[in-house]
Amino acid sequence: MVLKDLAFILCVSIGILRSSPLNAADGSDVARHKLSRAIVSEGQEQQDLLKDLGESGSKMVGEVLNAWIRDSVFIYDSPDGTKVPLLLEDAQDAKGKSRAIRIDDGLSLKDAQGAELRFVATDLTSADTDMRLRASIQQTLDALSLSDPEPSVRRSVVLKMGISQKQKSIGILEARLKKETDASVRKAVSEAVALLHLANPDPQIQIAAIEQLARLKSLGSLDNLRAVVARTNCPPEVAHAGRKAVKTIEEHLWLVNFFGTLFHGLSLGSILLVVALGLAITFGLMGIINMAHGEMIAVGAYACYVVQNLYGSGFGFSITIPVGFGGKVFSFGLHLPGLNATGWFYESYFLVALPLSFITAALVGILIERAVIRFLYRRPLESLLATWGISLVMQQCFRMVFGANNVQVNSPSWLLGHFSINDVSFGYNRVFVVGFAVVIVVATWLLLTKTPLGLLIRAVMQNRSMASCLGVRTNRINMLTFAFGCGLAGLAGAFLSQIGNVGPSLGQTYIVDSFMTVVLGGVGSIVGTVYSAFGIGTVDQVLQQTTGSPVTGKIIVLIAIIAFLQWKPGGLFSTRGRSLD
Amino acid sequence: MKKYTLPLLAGLLVLGGSAVCRAADTIKVGILHSLSGTMAISETSLRDVLLFAFDEINQAGGVKIGDKSYTIEPVIVDGASNWPLFAEKAKQLLEEDKVSVVFGCWTSVSRKSVLPVFEKDNGLLFYPVQYEGEELSKNIFYTAEAVGQQATPAVDYLLAQGKKKFYLIGTDYVYPQTTNLILYKYLLLHGIALGDIGGGLRKDDSGKVISAGKYTPFGHTDYQQIVAEIKQFAAGGDACVINTINGDSNVPFFKEVAAAGLTPADCPVVSFSLAEDELRALPTKDLVGELGCWTYFMSLPTPENKKFLQRWDAWLKTESYPGVVKEKRAMDSPMVLSYDGVYLWKAAVEKAGTADVDKVRDTLESGNISFDGPGGKITMNKNHHATKNVYIGDTRANGQFKILKSYDQIFGEPFLLKGLDEKVAAMGK
Repeated sequence: MVLKDLAFILCVSIGILRSSPLNAADGSDVARHKLSRAIVSEGQEQQDLLKDLGESGSKMVGEVLNAWIRDSVFIYDSPDGTKVPLLLEDAQDAKGKSRAIRIDDGLSLKDAQGAELRFVATDLTSADTDMRLRASIQQTLDALSLSDPEPSVRRSVVLKMGISQKQKSIGILEARLKKETDASVRKAVSEAVALLHLANPDPQIQIAAIEQLARLKSLGSLDNLRAVVARTNCPPEVAHAGRKAVKTIEEHLWLVNFFGTLFHGLSLGSILLVVALGLAITFGLMGIINMAHGEMIAVGAYACYVVQNLYGSGFGFSITIPVGFGGKVFSFGLHLPGLNATGWFYESYFLVALPLSFITAALVGILIERAVIRFLYRRPLESLLATWGISLVMQQCFRMVFGANNVQVNSPSWLLGHFSINDVSFGYNRVFVVGFAVVIVVATWLLLTKTPLGLLIRAVMQNRSMASCLGVRTNRINMLTFAFGCGLAGLAGAFLSQIGNVGPSLGQTYIVDSFMTVVLGGVGSIVGTVYSAFGIGTVDQVLQQTTGSPVTGKIIVLIAIIAFLQWKPGGLFSTRGRSLD
Repeated sequence: MKKYTLPLLAGLLVLGGSAVCRAADTIKVGILHSLSGTMAISETSLRDVLLFAFDEINQAGGVKIGDKSYTIEPVIVDGASNWPLFAEKAKQLLEEDKVSVVFGCWTSVSRKSVLPVFEKDNGLLFYPVQYEGEELSKNIFYTAEAVGQQATPAVDYLLAQGKKKFYLIGTDYVYPQTTNLILYKYLLLHGIALGDIGGGLRKDDSGKVISAGKYTPFGHTDYQQIVAEIKQFAAGGDACVINTINGDSNVPFFKEVAAAGLTPADCPVVSFSLAEDELRALPTKDLVGELGCWTYFMSLPTPENKKFLQRWDAWLKTESYPGVVKEKRAMDSPMVLSYDGVYLWKAAVEKAGTADVDKVRDTLESGNISFDGPGGKITMNKNHHATKNVYIGDTRANGQFKILKSYDQIFGEPFLLKGLDEKVAAMGK
């Protein structure tokens, strides 16, 4: 094995020596040809070619293989009957077609006359893969990743090799350990090696491996260690070491779950907070029982969807409403062309969507306030009925414009994925929501306490008549406050589009949670909303973890809230405001 | 002119419907689906495909009873995703409209609520959607996938792929609960250790397992804790997830799975409630490589299926029923099984020479009634369940499945639990 590895290093270094600018294509040319053959061939030949490719060390190979797994390698049946595998460039022309890059030479595909051929992805057949082939491709990728410059890539592939229990990997891994400089990868490599040694028949080696795994607190090896302990023919000293290791790792697992749950609670709390903050203003401060709050969230989510489409291929809709009995039809349609953005520019759509969803929801809020709510400030119960009606109307509007089905909002790649600290994993989108919640709470607090507008808002909310007497334009302040609350709901919607469904009934899913959070926190108190959101979030996740069932957890939380409100009807932070007078 | 026809037609259907329909040589057939409410997204597709089947039969000369041809006349009622309403509508179809047969229901709970009505009035219902089994009514024919035609073949496939750990997760209602209980016993029988079946067990006082797997309510959105658990479960390798989550909770679930870095190469998810029609509304990019198991896939390369899809497309272009969406339509297993049901019923009626429920039932129970549908041959058995092909596929970025394996002519057996219980007990001894 070591010999083979040396040969591999030799090959690579020869490749480096030879790749002088004059024949730069030389080394990768061989790889390209192999790759293109691998894509069109089948069976054993394909497997062999893939195995060879794992030793090519070429970044290009990795990219193509990744595209292959994701169905983005296409097969072009050329006129002479051969199959040409190709990739499509990201850039598209006016007709949505893109240049095709041949995999065998890296040049663009041309027809017999030498003109470039262009395609739309949906017109081509993609190269076939099945589960077995994808596993082989994955292996090739693993082999490539072992020499990847990125430590996290190396780490994950090493772990996989350890778990696979293929003894032949030991040689490769030990060779890697000698070269490896990154501490976390070194840890992963020694974990994998120890896992592989676990299957060694010699008890001494086994014990050393077990102790090593316990030191490393390896979660992935827990199953294997338990299996070793449970083995009937296990020597007592091995079993003893095994039990000790299992105990150490289980303690570590408990800690991981503890901190994981805390983080999940924090992120759920942040979602509740983001969702409920708008309502804390429209319901809490203004006293409007705003049943349309959920639909404001949906407005934000749909705004995010529209922005995404504008960055892509454009957005259009048409509505046809039959009017009366005469069979007259009222038609209305709109089509906005898209930017057809790609790469990082497309990924940035979400940053544009955030302020836009705030503005859209705020504008809708102004419209509703002017049209309906301003007549109902002294009649809170009627505001309940009116806003409920508005919410139904809005849901039907979503159905007419966007369809009854859910729409797809893709997450930008910088919100996908996760990082781990000590085996506790933190999803980027979850970390983002925590930060996002902090930012909007601070911004709201600053607006309410440090700006002249905030002063006026507080004055009007405390006593409208008095504020009016003192010359405050209460009408305008009411409108702005309501718009601000709705805008916050819109922001929440933009974020929710990243973790869940966007559909006409999106608002219904969150309206109960929002009211629960605001009422528990104390109507009229923003601080109360913050505390109650994080409280509910953490308690919910802890109960989910301890009871093992999401339903039981939720039921207990609801009962606890009801009991608490019996004891303190004003919520956590009860304030005296207009709504309670 | 075209603008006026639609509302006019709708008006005619409502106002003058009964006058036209009483004309001779028609045979009345009921469609009982939710055309509004939560289930409307799925069930309207079934109404559409049924109308397509009726039009196709009528154009080919209708149903031939004796030497007379009868035109099928659909009576469409809306169950509105409201289970008691389903029973009322079923009663209306059978007692007022006096239909010969009803095609309908999606959720098990709607089927359970119409069952007594059909038994009392001696009606006939064809049920097309995968379900949990453990039921057999003399008035219902199940073209649907029984557990043995979807869940157990999928598990067989995963076992053959070398998977050793299975995590069960579903929505909390009768179909996932029963299916997972069956799978739990099935896995035990196939040598999977208790600790390698994830999601948790619930036992009654006598220690008998009454529920296996993790359950979330309809519309659940927070899957962080569960996905973290699955990740730890899968840390040791060779694990997979059996997903019976129903409805749009699948979106947050799969988004969380993608965010946690669980790839199909490490830990595939096989879903029993996601067909092509549902995939239209899901982020399919995150789902590439995840598995599905059905008795029909739109991507089936057979000439029958290709012709069927062409006819369906042509019908969509020309039909003028109100409310049928024309763009971006998909075909999937429940739709095809609805379609197959119509033809099985037609074949039985023609063979029996009458639309009388008792005679049609006897003919269907004879085991000689079969139909070469888009998904392959389907034969109705004495036990009211159908023998048909089963396919396993993995999801592609375009929302279609690529077929990985097919099982030919699997017998539909509704009662799996009892047999498994006995075998598990025997294994214990």
